Amino acid sequence: MAQRQATEPSPAAAAIRILVVRSGGFAGIPQQWHVESRDDVDDWTTLVTACPWDQVGTDPASRDRFIWRIEARMPRTTRTAQVPDALLVGPWRALVDRVQDAGSHG
Amino acid sequence: MTQGIVPPYLLTRIAELEAPEFRDAATAAKQTLILDRPRRAARLSFTLDAEQNLVAELSAAPNRTIGNAKNTETLPGAEVRAEGQAAGKDVAVDEAYDGLGATFALYSEVYGRDSIDGKGLPLDGTVHYGKLYDNAFWNGGRMVFGDGDEQVFGRFTASYTVIGHELTHGVTQYTAGLVYRDQPGALNESISDVFGSLVEQYAKKQTAATATWLIGEGLFTKKVKGVALRSMKAPGTAYDDPRLGKDPQPADFAHYVHTTDDEGGVHLNSGIPNRAFYLVAHQLGGHAWERAGRIWYDTLLSGLTPKTDFAGFAAATVAAAAKRYGGSSAEVAAARAGWSGVGVTTNGAATGD
Repeated sequence: MAQRQATEPSPAAAAIRILVVRSGGFAGIPQQWHVESRDDVDDWTTLVTACPWDQVGTDPASRDRFIWRIEARMPRTTRTAQVPDALLVGPWRALVDRVQDAGSHG
Repeated sequence: MTQGIVPPYLLTRIAELEAPEFRDAATAAKQTLILDRPRRAARLSFTLDAEQNLVAELSAAPNRTIGNAKNTETLPGAEVRAEGQAAGKDVAVDEAYDGLGATFALYSEVYGRDSIDGKGLPLDGTVHYGKLYDNAFWNGGRMVFGDGDEQVFGRFTASYTVIGHELTHGVTQYTAGLVYRDQPGALNESISDVFGSLVEQYAKKQTAATATWLIGEGLFTKKVKGVALRSMKAPGTAYDDPRLGKDPQPADFAHYVHTTDDEGGVHLNSGIPNRAFYLVAHQLGGHAWERAGRIWYDTLLSGLTPKTDFAGFAAATVAAAAKRYGGSSAEVAAARAGWSGVGVTTNGAATGD
């Protein structure tokens, strides 16, 4: 039985760590970005807490759209969500854009 | 024979014709007008019968509309080409329009299906979606195409297989309604690849032996080491690139991929039923849309439940082949051999995994 999981970044002593994995899409080729930081914890915390982690919603009608798995490891808590591409707006988009800009890709 | 696309005002005129020789055409036109309130096209053919009477016939025709999102993520975008309008200068617009037509042609001419829902549903597409957007998708009502990121992907309208794939998600939505997760999701994906490939094969009049069996050929830029996104003939061999890695599709059930991403790997595990279809088509030979495609189409309409798994679908293809071609037919034997070739039994029970 084969196993395929996106490679996780190595654990580090960073204060925050955010992983963004984009899967699905017509091509089915996953992409991922991650950021680790001790310096901008307040900024990142603001971005993370702005997201509606418990009310993500679904997009049952779409096919071949991207799905964004977002994991935020914060000093006191870890949040995880699977966000359909159609719902990656507002605070979700702001968080993902920031991780893509600031973090490493691949 | 003259053929043309009939606009609604002309349908109305035909419906009002009272001369006996136009009775059938008038009836057809009336039904066309009654069936669908949205504007609707039909194909009008004129022929002469043995007594040199003019015979007018109406048949199904697509009703396409293409929108331009102008690199925003707003749908449907500005309407840029409607049914019957001439090609313009925007390649993506015209590729989408032509691909919708080619998909409509396969379903209508080969399987007698009038559009996605079987009732002449208008075919809507949007191009130039998003900025550097490297995807194409079906949102439940329309096909949407990005321009690609120019590094890995070019235009997603560049292959009929992609356009046929997206519209077939609509056909599955209106028929089997397979859920988009795990095995039923991988079947949903595979059915889109099967008919996406058949749209291309039908348009190019290829046989099972001459078809490429590639999905998304020409989408990658020249910087990528790969011929396409997927290979139905040899899943796992479509690309092998330093940046993208190797095509991860399994070619048999023993290598089914378990993952939580991509709705349970629907774009990975579709390789298994994709190859089963290829094996059936290869064994039967000739035009794949005729017998292999017919078996798959019959299966799609055979009353599958939304959570049908690989084994259930495989058994349904054998049942569909037996119903149409007979229990001891070459088609039944080919269906059994195709699934056996990917490690899925056709008696309703899965093997492997």
